[in-house]
Amino acid sequence: MALNQSKVGTAYPAYRYEVAREKIREYAMALGESDARYQSDGDDCVAPPTFAAAFTLSRGLMALFSDPELGAHPALVHGSQAFRYGTRPLTPGDVLDCTPSIASITVRGRNEFLTTIVDCRFADSGELAVESESVIVFLGSAPQDEAPDAAQEDAA
Amino acid sequence: MSDFVFTVGAELPAISQPSNLVTSVMYAGASTDYNPLHYDQAFAGQVSPTGAPIAHGMYSMGLVSRMLTAAAGGPERVADLQVRFSKPWPLGTTATFSGTVTAIEDGLATIEVQGTGENGERILSGVGHVRV
Repeated sequence: MALNQSKVGTAYPAYRYEVAREKIREYAMALGESDARYQSDGDDCVAPPTFAAAFTLSRGLMALFSDPELGAHPALVHGSQAFRYGTRPLTPGDVLDCTPSIASITVRGRNEFLTTIVDCRFADSGELAVESESVIVFLGSAPQDEAPDAAQEDAA
Repeated sequence: MSDFVFTVGAELPAISQPSNLVTSVMYAGASTDYNPLHYDQAFAGQVSPTGAPIAHGMYSMGLVSRMLTAAAGGPERVADLQVRFSKPWPLGTTATFSGTVTAIEDGLATIEVQGTGENGERILSGVGHVRV
């Protein structure tokens, strides 16, 4: 079943995420990071840039995928990813309000490309913490009447 | 801090990293992305483009970020990063991540980044900007 084009532009309810020191530590270890600040017990602790994946991808995408009207399905791969950061890295105790939305749905060959944006702001100031833009490729669900096209490009 | 000097044409110190069940399970837990495509042979056999488990795209992007922050001196230097996952990275193989400074303007260095698999295939390409 194809994705529902009428969902483009939909913003889903914001969810709250609290940055935790032990989660930063765990994330940095999984990447083999050596910056001692990622493991710090002190005030200098900061999160690596792609730590944002830990709260924008799984949880942000879940908000979309659990919308029965969107028509998401499990045959998918991550096509591309962008993060745009605010003025400082995340630190333990930061509280973020994250708003997922659907920016576009396009078709290439048999596949559908869903572009989602999760806008994450510091709850206390409203300033941008990070914006995450993900392209998720849904394999094989494009409407049958679309003309075939090159579709081998995105695959991880 | 880092000894790396951002000048146009400079190549960032590259990093090579294996992917395997341990790295995949650690990244799944750390990122909360539990898609079994990345660690479950039976599941991956049905849906993976390679017929076997592949690394999280975000694991490869995280390694690009590690390379960038190591050269730049920390995460506070990274203004943005975007990558496209062009080919799967099979578990059990090693990938190399590299980057080249292509421009410096208004205090921002542009870095073109890439990830290369064991057989020379491009698994990732993208661009980032760091404050210099």
